Order: sequence, then structure tokens, then C-alpha cells
Amino acid sequence: MENLSPEVVIIIVTTIVCGVAIVIGTMVPTWVEGKAAEKAIEGMARQPDAAPQLRTAMLIALALLETASIYVLLIVLVLLFANPLITRFFGG
Amino acid sequence: MDVIEHPIVFTLFGLLPIRDTVVYTWLTMAAIIALVLILKVLKPNLLEYILEMIITILDDAMDVDDLHPYIPLLGSLMVFTLTSNLISIVPGMKSPTSDINLTIALALIVVFSVHIYGMIKKGVWGYLKDFATPIFMFPIELIGQFSRTLSLSMRLFGNILSGDLIVAIVFSIIPYLLPIALTAVTMVSGILQAFVLTTLAALFISSAVEINEEDSKMKAEGKKTKIKELFNRKFRKEMANGESKS
Repeated sequence: MENLSPEVVIIIVTTIVCGVAIVIGTMVPTWVEGKAAEKAIEGMARQPDAAPQLRTAMLIALALLETASIYVLLIVLVLLFANPLITRFFGG
Repeated sequence: MDVIEHPIVFTLFGLLPIRDTVVYTWLTMAAIIALVLILKVLKPNLLEYILEMIITILDDAMDVDDLHPYIPLLGSLMVFTLTSNLISIVPGMKSPTSDINLTIALALIVVFSVHIYGMIKKGVWGYLKDFATPIFMFPIELIGQFSRTLSLSMRLFGNILSGDLIVAIVFSIIPYLLPIALTAVTMVSGILQAFVLTTLAALFISSAVEINEEDSKMKAEGKKTKIKELFNRKFRKEMANGESKS
């Protein structure tokens, strides 16, 4: 470990952090989306007359919940492809 | 990577750099115009059916009396977003919506058109007064406008870019058969995102217009019912029901 240059250490740490972040950041929103879809489908099964309104509301809610995991994905993409730490501390 | 970078294709008049997103946007617009013209000649019924479908979606999402002023903006938003999400299945094309500049432009159009429709409906001063009715909520509303722009643009950009990126990564690992399934998932996601963007824009516009209508109705009828009175009335009703049942 002593032989590694600081850039390589930053790249290794960034890669590990990106893996952990994408796992946690997709796991939690997916779990919550599953709960939302479960409730909506229960409502559709109970009242088939209100199914179109429920479906539209469910799709909007799912898209809004999906935004959280998209933010995580964007941060991970920035860290992987345009890491600001390397250019800031080591001048590119 | 090829999906993320946007190189300059050519320079217009020697001073305006044109990146590849703009070229793909022009190609998307040309594809929409060509498709509409071909359908108009060959299958006018199908074109009418598609337009009726878009209007039905908008009618379900919005809760206004007259839908006519909002159809040009929201319909063209939906058609453009849908086509540009789906055009990456054509070989050699890249989705214009996988560039964040285009999605921020679309979100800014939506956010400003919400206020413009509200001002047309209620007048400039009336809309501003409604916008800042509890005056301490005015900064929070302004922050809400920024976060609305950010979330609209980031949602579309992230979904489309992640779909394209996953297809590209899988294609570089296993180029046989597996990218087809992922392309199908990307297409479903693109259709859903176009639907969600249009529905959210319709909801924003309808909320900006509808609250004004309700307020003006309340003022016209002179009903300034306080929340406490409403609660008291409801409570008394429930008490009476319970006593009569027991």
C-alpha cells in the first residue's frame, strides 16, 4: 500500500464508494416503490372501477420515487467519469 | 465513453459551435415531420387516433374546463419527448434527451409556461398575489420552482442516459441477443418517461390555473369559512350520527 500514488488511492476509494452507493441507493427506492405498487394493486383489485385513475397516480408516484435512485446514479456517474477530486488536488 | 461525451460536429458561421445533440435534435424533428406527413397521406385515420389518444391522456391529467389553450404545448412536448427517447433504437442515432442541456431546456419551458398560463388566466397582478398569498411562503415557493426544474430535467436525463449506458456496456461485453432485451426495457422506460413528463407538466399547469379559479369563486360568493368552523360543523354532524345510531 505504501507504493501507491495518491491518485491511485483516490481512484480505488472512489470505485469502492460508487459500488456501495449504487447498491444502497437503488435498494431503498426499489423497496419503497414495491410498497407503493403493492398498495396501488390492492386498491385496483378491491375497486376495479377506479383502476385507470389508480394506475395513473401509481405511475406518477413511481416516477417521483425513481428520481431518488436516478440522483444516486448521476452522482456515481460523475464520480466515475468526471471525478472532481483528482483535478482539484492533483491538477489533472 | 461515447454515450456520455458530446463532441462538436461543426461550427456555424465560424463562431457558433454545434454539438452532436443539436444535430440529433434536428434529425428527430425531421423524423417527426416526415412521419406526420407520411401518415397524413397514407393513413389519416391512424394519425387522428394518435392525436385523440394524446388529448385523452391530457384530459385525464388536467382538471380544467377548456383544454384548448394547453394542447399545443403539452402535445408537442409529449410527441417530441417520446420520439427523442425512442430514436436511439435506430442504428447510429443517439437520444437527444441523454444530454442534460436539452432536458434542462425542456424543464425551463415547462416551469415558465406554468406561470405564463397562470398570468393569462388570472392577470399578472392577480397571479402574483395568489402566488405569494401567505407572504412567508414566498421564498419556499421560489425554491420549489428551482427544485421542480431540477427534478424534471434530472429525471428525464438520468433515465434515458442510464438506459443507453446499460445497453452500451452490455453490448461491449455480450454483443449477441442480450442487448435486444435491454433495448426493449429502455424503450418501455422511454415511453413511460415521456408520459410522466407530460403528466407532471399538465398537473403543474392545472394546479396553477385551478387554485386561482377556486379562490375567485370563494371571493365572489363571499364565503370565508374558517377551518375551525368547518371542523366544528363536521364534529357536530358525527356526534349527531353517533347518537342517532346508538
